[in-house]
Amino acid sequence: MSQYSKQEGRITGRPGFSRLRMLADSDKALGWIFVLPFLVLWCWWFFYPFVQSFVRSFQDANFAALGQAKFIGLENYINILQDKLFYEAVWHSLEIVIISVPVQTFLGLSLAILVNKKLKGKGIFRTVFFVPYITSQIAITTVFMMLFKKGTFLTDFFGKFGFGDVTWFADTRYALLFVCLLFIFQNSGFTMIVYLSGLQEVPKDLYEAGEIDGASGWNKFRFITLPYLKPITFFIVSVTTIVGFQIFDQIAAISRYGALGSPAGATSTVVTYFYQHGIRYMNIGYGSAAVVLFFIIIMLITFLQKKLLDEKG
Amino acid sequence: MKERKFTGRILLYVAIIALGLLFAMPFLYTIYTSFISMRNVNTLVGPDQWSFANYYVYFTNEAYDVPQWFLNTLIMTSIVVLGNLIINPMAGFALAKVDFKGKAVVYWIVVATMMIPYHMILIPVYVNVAQLGWLNTFKGLTIPFLYQGLYIFMMRQFFLSVPGEFIEAARIDGLTKMGAFWRIVYPLANSSLITMSILAFSGTWNSYLVPSTLANSPDKYVLVVGLNSVKDLFFENTPMIMAGVVLTTLPILVFFFLFQRQYIEGISASGVKG
Repeated sequence: MSQYSKQEGRITGRPGFSRLRMLADSDKALGWIFVLPFLVLWCWWFFYPFVQSFVRSFQDANFAALGQAKFIGLENYINILQDKLFYEAVWHSLEIVIISVPVQTFLGLSLAILVNKKLKGKGIFRTVFFVPYITSQIAITTVFMMLFKKGTFLTDFFGKFGFGDVTWFADTRYALLFVCLLFIFQNSGFTMIVYLSGLQEVPKDLYEAGEIDGASGWNKFRFITLPYLKPITFFIVSVTTIVGFQIFDQIAAISRYGALGSPAGATSTVVTYFYQHGIRYMNIGYGSAAVVLFFIIIMLITFLQKKLLDEKG
Repeated sequence: MKERKFTGRILLYVAIIALGLLFAMPFLYTIYTSFISMRNVNTLVGPDQWSFANYYVYFTNEAYDVPQWFLNTLIMTSIVVLGNLIINPMAGFALAKVDFKGKAVVYWIVVATMMIPYHMILIPVYVNVAQLGWLNTFKGLTIPFLYQGLYIFMMRQFFLSVPGEFIEAARIDGLTKMGAFWRIVYPLANSSLITMSILAFSGTWNSYLVPSTLANSPDKYVLVVGLNSVKDLFFENTPMIMAGVVLTTLPILVFFFLFQRQYIEGISASGVKG
């Protein structure tokens, strides 16, 4: 019996098989077959949540009673825009970017120039500078917290330069600077690698031509290397600005038990603001409205950067 | 002139060594401190006073079960990388080498997804995962992350460079276009696939925001989330914390040293092309 149906299956299966073969060979079908897994996951886990973020932002919705969520118009937005803490959070995000981005861009360029020279052991140094980038942010933050606790040799050292001998991440004056320090330490390896690949793309004969014209080392750097690195610098600044706005792990790690953004809100950012309201307090509507505002800020920055780039040609 | 060059080189060495020490210091401090006892913190003691005592605790206490966290991280990361290895190249190939209706829309979707920060959808993803009962499960930690816009884009860029004759030749030999993809084009993408896997692996392994949101029961902690809890638990005991840091970061560092060259190439390629 089984043999019979097997045989029958094979015979009647033939046309079916060729239809399958057609599907696997025609562009029209194959294209959709190949993007289908992505599209299904995307609709389910990106598009739907994305729309929800907007819809919820106009609702009074709490996680515990999502069924009773009701439309309240712009109330969430109005409340956020009247919250002093929100502006503080925006300002902190901006501060992180304003302090860290120039430093890590400059540091990355310096490191790249150093490891691009013919020095012994430059490979080892390149690794040393890059390793923080692939280490988890939580691990680095943890180590720095231990290093910047009151009474260690580092706080002692900085104490001599007018910083108090205090626990940095627990002091409202230094906590945000501490976050910047973490971001710079971690990300300079990334900017170095990107700059390094840029340095290696500069055509060698340009330098030779410069030497014939009698250009000094500095002039060669100023008039040959720097113009070449311009697009890369733009890339680095735009990427690290966006990454800076998204910082979360470091701040979560220094906020022991307390509310995100501790001490006393000194490290609150737009991200911790929406996380605190949307996920910790489970106030889905209010949190979503904060997320939409975060999204608008990011889009605004991206737009400005693009405009700047287009103007410069 | 020659003398000036010499002092120049000395200065370069001084600069690179000073910066190198500055960057290595936190790591050296971590390793050293993890071997000493609490009363010796911030002092230098000889090897006769070093021990594995701090490490031992992590393998004998159930409240901070590092082996379990390691296993959780490994399972989560493996599933995510595997999904990315199948779904992204398929979509990338379709966008590069297949003509179908709606291709422009799909391409636009990929680029938009790439540009939008994940934070934007975190709250609804959390709600949806919770409503499915997927909090603290591997389903919740992996299924939403089996693809990535950026990697689809990367794969598309690679497949664009594959000559169409390769596919035509395979079809003359009797393969379908789908067969040509899996048997000829996919293996050709070897180096791009490796780069993508390495980036996806380290990104997933080190992620904190998503796992700390979607899995917060200690038996489902991944290493990074576990480390954060250990830090709070032993806050006054620096050597214990440092041993935790070493244990939780060692796997990714070993991984990095194995694939360092490809990793750095991947990063610089994304920089130059971006």
